[in-house]
Amino acid sequence: MAGNSAGETPGAPAQKPKAPLPKSRALVNEQTAGVYARAWEAHERGEPVGWSTAIFPQELCETFDVPVLYPENNAAAISARHMGEPFIQHAEGEMKYPINICSYARLNMGMADKMRKAESIQTQGIDPAMAPPAFLCLANNSCTQLMKWYENLSRNLNIPVFFVDCLFNYSEEEPAAHKIAYVRGQIENCIRQMEEFFGKKFDWDRFLEVQRISQTNRVLFNEIVALNARKPAPMNGFDLFNYMAPLVICRGKESTTVILTELKKETEAHIAAGTSTFRGEEKHRVHWEGIACWPNLGHNLKTLGGYGVNAVMNGYVTAWDVAYEPGDLDGMARAYQVSSTNSLTTPGIMKKRIASIDRFGCDGMLCHVNRSCKLMTFHIMVGREMIEEEAKVPVANFDGDQSDTRVFSEAQFETRLQGLVEIMSGNRNKNGNKEARHA
Amino acid sequence: MLTMGLDIGSTACKSIILRDGEQILARSVVPLGTGTVGPRKAFGEALDLAGVARSEIDRILLTGYGRFSFDDADGQMSEVSCHARGIYFLLPSVRTVVDIGGQDVKALRLSEKGALENFVMNDKCAAGTGRFLGVMAGVMNVKTEDLGALSEGATEEVSISNTCTVFAESEVISRLSAGVRLADLTAGIHASVAKRVASLVFRGGVVRDVALSGGVALNRGVVRALARELKIDVLVHPDCQMAGAIGAALFARQQL
Amino acid sequence: MPDAMPELEEMLFELGEVASHPRRMLRQYLAAGKKVVGCMPVYTPEELAHAGGMTPMGLWGGQVTPSLAGKYNPVFTCSIMRSCLEYGMSGVYDGLGCVMMPMLCDTFRGMSAGWRAGVKAIPLVPFIHPQNRTDPGAPAFLTEEYRVVRALLEKHMHCEITDEALEKSIEVYNAHSAAMRSFASAANEHLDVITPAIRHHVFKSALFMPKEEHAARVLAIVRELRKRPTHVWKGKKVILTGITAEPEALLNVLAENGVAVTGDDLAQESRQYRTPIPEGGSPMERLPMERLARQWFDRRGCSMAHETRAARGRMLTDMAKETGADGIVVCLMRFCDVEEYDYPMIAAEAEKAGLHCLCLDIDQSTRDNGQSRTKIQSFVEMGM
Repeated sequence: MAGNSAGETPGAPAQKPKAPLPKSRALVNEQTAGVYARAWEAHERGEPVGWSTAIFPQELCETFDVPVLYPENNAAAISARHMGEPFIQHAEGEMKYPINICSYARLNMGMADKMRKAESIQTQGIDPAMAPPAFLCLANNSCTQLMKWYENLSRNLNIPVFFVDCLFNYSEEEPAAHKIAYVRGQIENCIRQMEEFFGKKFDWDRFLEVQRISQTNRVLFNEIVALNARKPAPMNGFDLFNYMAPLVICRGKESTTVILTELKKETEAHIAAGTSTFRGEEKHRVHWEGIACWPNLGHNLKTLGGYGVNAVMNGYVTAWDVAYEPGDLDGMARAYQVSSTNSLTTPGIMKKRIASIDRFGCDGMLCHVNRSCKLMTFHIMVGREMIEEEAKVPVANFDGDQSDTRVFSEAQFETRLQGLVEIMSGNRNKNGNKEARHA
Repeated sequence: MLTMGLDIGSTACKSIILRDGEQILARSVVPLGTGTVGPRKAFGEALDLAGVARSEIDRILLTGYGRFSFDDADGQMSEVSCHARGIYFLLPSVRTVVDIGGQDVKALRLSEKGALENFVMNDKCAAGTGRFLGVMAGVMNVKTEDLGALSEGATEEVSISNTCTVFAESEVISRLSAGVRLADLTAGIHASVAKRVASLVFRGGVVRDVALSGGVALNRGVVRALARELKIDVLVHPDCQMAGAIGAALFARQQL
Repeated sequence: MPDAMPELEEMLFELGEVASHPRRMLRQYLAAGKKVVGCMPVYTPEELAHAGGMTPMGLWGGQVTPSLAGKYNPVFTCSIMRSCLEYGMSGVYDGLGCVMMPMLCDTFRGMSAGWRAGVKAIPLVPFIHPQNRTDPGAPAFLTEEYRVVRALLEKHMHCEITDEALEKSIEVYNAHSAAMRSFASAANEHLDVITPAIRHHVFKSALFMPKEEHAARVLAIVRELRKRPTHVWKGKKVILTGITAEPEALLNVLAENGVAVTGDDLAQESRQYRTPIPEGGSPMERLPMERLARQWFDRRGCSMAHETRAARGRMLTDMAKETGADGIVVCLMRFCDVEEYDYPMIAAEAEKAGLHCLCLDIDQSTRDNGQSRTKIQSFVEMGM
């Protein structure tokens, strides 16, 4: 999972006349470019660069002031720009990885292998191009495949892994005490191991500050997301996918505070002016489930727009809502175990989705049966009846993939969406005009 | 010394009669696969063409998907071994054989002496197989054997991204209804097959020379697309479709 | 030897019956008034159930085309979990007091939800193994996690699991694992008798029988085998790796092509038995719950236990060298991602060691072994 930071709506046909990029988006692009550039500079100086899973306690490397890149985020960006195929093919071909494993993993392991073999991916026009890693940071809170992926990276590149094993909450709403103790202990041990690896002392005061900034940023993001509950929404919900990048790759940085403050201002201005980044009339509001189909984001956006559907909210962007009190290490350990809804029970996730559907006034739910994300798909399969029964909205599934272009079918997507729209329209006629009530 | 190789495939049957493991006396191809009259017909046709009786054949060896379903033979061997041996007979410089059959795609590695050293096969999935081409030809209402010639007239390639046959079918239909040229669409289908096959070939490793065998090798469009994907020339022998049967006849000779 | 000593073939047949009819075994146990606990693969601490006087039974699915399970399982669910859910939902597993399920992969995470939604009558006892196995806090975590499992078993099964009983159960399980290892080694001297399918029966039957009974039978088989003259196997030999080498027809294809199995790393078979429950050093570590937990940290070369080295590949090539095997057969369970991630490493290590690495696509529910047959036959024909 990860946000994408492409400069324009990825994969979308050129719109004319082209609207100027909002300032917040320009800032995101600048920030992302800076992160990659800094990593390359460090690499060229012979300093370590890390590759990290998207929901690893970023506070650690941020405190150590060591550059970190995020393969999931990178895979999303590369896929959105339709540059992933050669890497996926390399992983499936020469490297012999089966086609059924996560496509982010295939893309990234293929890329890492090409980099290892001294093929300069920078010169091949691959953008953004990651600097090679000297160490890995792994947290398996999104899924178990992350662990296998990083095992393979570690083995193939012969570099160490800093691992925080975040346990799946198979039963309880709140992680049990022994689970929190284990995760907290791992964070402390990671700090010690990193001190040794980086040859630097861990600055606990700086850590506290990074924690504070991280909290400021996540709160800001939540506030922005909440603005989209307005009817009509000030944002095309797909914008949220693009604004995830700062939270994913710079959650503990002040530059993110600047970006999100700007975005909040822009969004409030839309509300004040009665405008929106959603083009046309917002006839239907849906809740999106699952990672974006990055290679097909443009198509999805256009097709949804064609039916007047705004996917105002999705369950995916909340995964970086890692909430804790600065200074409370137990709280931080707990937060990393629960922020990704993937690590909750299906009823636990669906309770959140049902509340969100209600809060955002959604008339339906559109679920991405993502070939690469087994876990989310399981939750969708089991959760569907919970949504239908408790949120009382129709649910439609479609097949796709976060990176692999061979799974998604435009025809199927449109047919499923159309079906959902017809049911939503029918419901509206039956229930009277909900629109009026919410307005 | 006469030996016969009978290759009973899923969509076609091929038979060959060899004299002393060297000279091809007769060959027959029947476009009917296992479970039909195809095997019997290919068997009979080769005998008729060679002008010999069953009793004059010293040994008959079966191969192919339907190799367990024909009684009138002396033994059977896998199509992997037979394709390797057959291609070595036809094109001795070849070290990598790609066989695209109706059901399976295989990449075989041969030693310099033509012995099978390693092989990889596709997952149980129609993507990249002859079956995939057949389905797409059906959707476009053309004959599978005409796909190669059709793609000659392509001016661009219409990309077909799905590997799932059912999805690809709907993708082809939607492209057709969008009015794309049949030739361009066919070129796109060939590229899709070639991509899938190439990733399998890379798994086994590419060593020069590379040859394509099996019936799909007759489709020049696939050959071109595969050569492009593999970034290497791909050899095709006019008797490529017979490679399995030739290999079986050669093994039959060896066993005598 | 008394006359009552059954013939070797008879004993092997008996275990074959057990392996092929787990449902019959379940009914027998229930009829005898036993409390039966279902144990999902792999590394479920059955010892706890055993110590509480219950009968643990492995749940490894079966050859069924699922229809009900599709409601909660995506199409890319491995066939074992699909068939387990199908059996749960269709009542085949009725009578189990509860089911223990380890969260070893994403499919298990999803299965915990599918099971609760689809099999309401059989309570689930889920638990999780710590994957950061070198972290100093991991053993304490797992010990505590097993305490939670113990408490849930006591609650659902209305029994008591004491430390004393657990200590005895650990000895039973360690003795059984040792028996399985001696069978695997004895079998290699008698590959004419111990065909791939029979070898599989001996291993699989262990999942459905009390371990003390199974160990006694296996040791009797080993004794009988050792009485016979060593057989020199002329055909090819292979090591099997993967989750399972099922359906059994696949093993028969090996036999039909003159291929013997001289070792395995199958999760359903030897992988479970190669790591004893440790004795423990300090007085604390010698406590039975601690010992049980510490076994997890001694496991090596398993796709489900985090490891960054190529230990599994090297273990397989060593196994091949020790037993004179010509190749490694990777029985790759379709949609088993943890195994799929390990495959390139196994293939690379096999190549380095000059061994053939044959990859078979495993789907428990399939009745079509055509492609595997071609692959196995070609492997045998290589060099002809």
